[in-house]
Amino acid sequence: MTSRRPAAYNEQMTFAQAAEAHLDDVYGYLTWFTSDRFTAEDLTGVTFERALRLWHRFDPDRGSARTWLCQVARTVALDHFRSEKRRTRREQLAAAPEAVDPRFGEGLSAELESALARLTPGEREVVALRVLLDLDAGAAARVLGISSTNCTTRLNRALKKLEEALNVAA
Amino acid sequence: MSQRDLVAELRAAHLTAPPGLRERVRLISVEGQPAPRRITWRRALAVAVPVAAAVAATIVFTRPTHQANRDQALERLAPATVHGSAASVPAPTERAAKAFTVPTAPDRAQQVGATLGLRVATAGAVSDAVKRALAITASLGGYPLSVHAQSHGKTAAAMLTLKVPRTHVSEAITRLSALGSIRQEHVDVTDKQAGLNTTDRLIARLQRQLTTLRAQPTTATTTAQIAALVARIEQLQRGEAATRRATHYATIQLSVATPQPTVATHHGHGRLHGVVIALTWLGIGAVYALAIGVPVLLVLAAAWFAVRMVRRRREDALLG
Repeated sequence: MTSRRPAAYNEQMTFAQAAEAHLDDVYGYLTWFTSDRFTAEDLTGVTFERALRLWHRFDPDRGSARTWLCQVARTVALDHFRSEKRRTRREQLAAAPEAVDPRFGEGLSAELESALARLTPGEREVVALRVLLDLDAGAAARVLGISSTNCTTRLNRALKKLEEALNVAA
Repeated sequence: MSQRDLVAELRAAHLTAPPGLRERVRLISVEGQPAPRRITWRRALAVAVPVAAAVAATIVFTRPTHQANRDQALERLAPATVHGSAASVPAPTERAAKAFTVPTAPDRAQQVGATLGLRVATAGAVSDAVKRALAITASLGGYPLSVHAQSHGKTAAAMLTLKVPRTHVSEAITRLSALGSIRQEHVDVTDKQAGLNTTDRLIARLQRQLTTLRAQPTTATTTAQIAALVARIEQLQRGEAATRRATHYATIQLSVATPQPTVATHHGHGRLHGVVIALTWLGIGAVYALAIGVPVLLVLAAAWFAVRMVRRRREDALLG
């Protein structure tokens, strides 16, 4: 389970190349994180706009471009969650929030989609980083801002929760 | 379903960005590649720290020390006092030009005081200067009030209190200042004429009162008043005479001394002495920086940890 690329790859990579190479990863991560494809599309665009502004800060020696883009995406997603929370709190007084039909990707069973939807965003993001994007524990931990051990613990808990949900459904 | 199967199924999920999003990101990326920032704070720090150290070292190296000042003073002094003989005394015109001129008015009663500190090279020169000072005083019609001299090894010092007629005080200071290098000079002129005029007017008034009393019939009361007035007038006249005598002579405090012996360890310094001084100052600076910086850093670290913890808790609550 490794996502390390050669250093020369990162050093020579321009922003356009990084965007082209990791667009699907960022989009997938945000889709799983937000459990809403339309929101993920918007956030992906915002992520790359912000990444373009911050590209001078990217240091290939400290991590891959994919890890760095995921960090930017996570910041964007957290801003979105905060604003959504405020908006939901405001609107709940007037009307019930819209139900979102989560779709996490092609090739997943309906039970698994349902089980994924029942996970919290925090649990889904660690599964997305470690399983979907295949990041190693160190890189995923760097994105999440936690230790590698904590990251592994969170992954195990999330997978166990998924497993239990699937077993119950079966 | 086992966890291994679960992971395999999750990895099999295929998620591709829609074409619209891909085009949008492509447009974002072709908008322009931002130029990398050439001056980062690390680079600035890497330049600033050595430059600051170099500036500090330059200041320390080029700063004239107290020892150097003393050496320079001795070098200036040495040619004027070769062998300490009377013949080696610097030319009066050269030295006297530095002496104060005393602004006196001969028609007014003024109290003049002067302090003159001279430095000569050797103990023998101190002795010669004392002799010449006494001769100068006598030639101007003055007299020495006190003379104190002492010597210890190669150092010597003398303190003279000279009384010189006020009309010759400027000449006296000029000639005395030529006996050595002037290290200290102070002139004090106090006008006493106004006080004397007041006393004169008071005496005249008292004398008029006395004349009036003497014209009256003699009684016990008038006799006592006359005696008191006479005593008062005599007291005032004595005081006035004393003041006039004091203003007739100026008091000159003359001190002549050799310089303090220099510390012989100066020439024992090696070539690295300046480097040692620079390192010492850098060490002192580092100690101060640590003493001030460590508590500040601890507070900042504690604040950073607190902020981080709060942010993480909020994040967990948001994503939980």
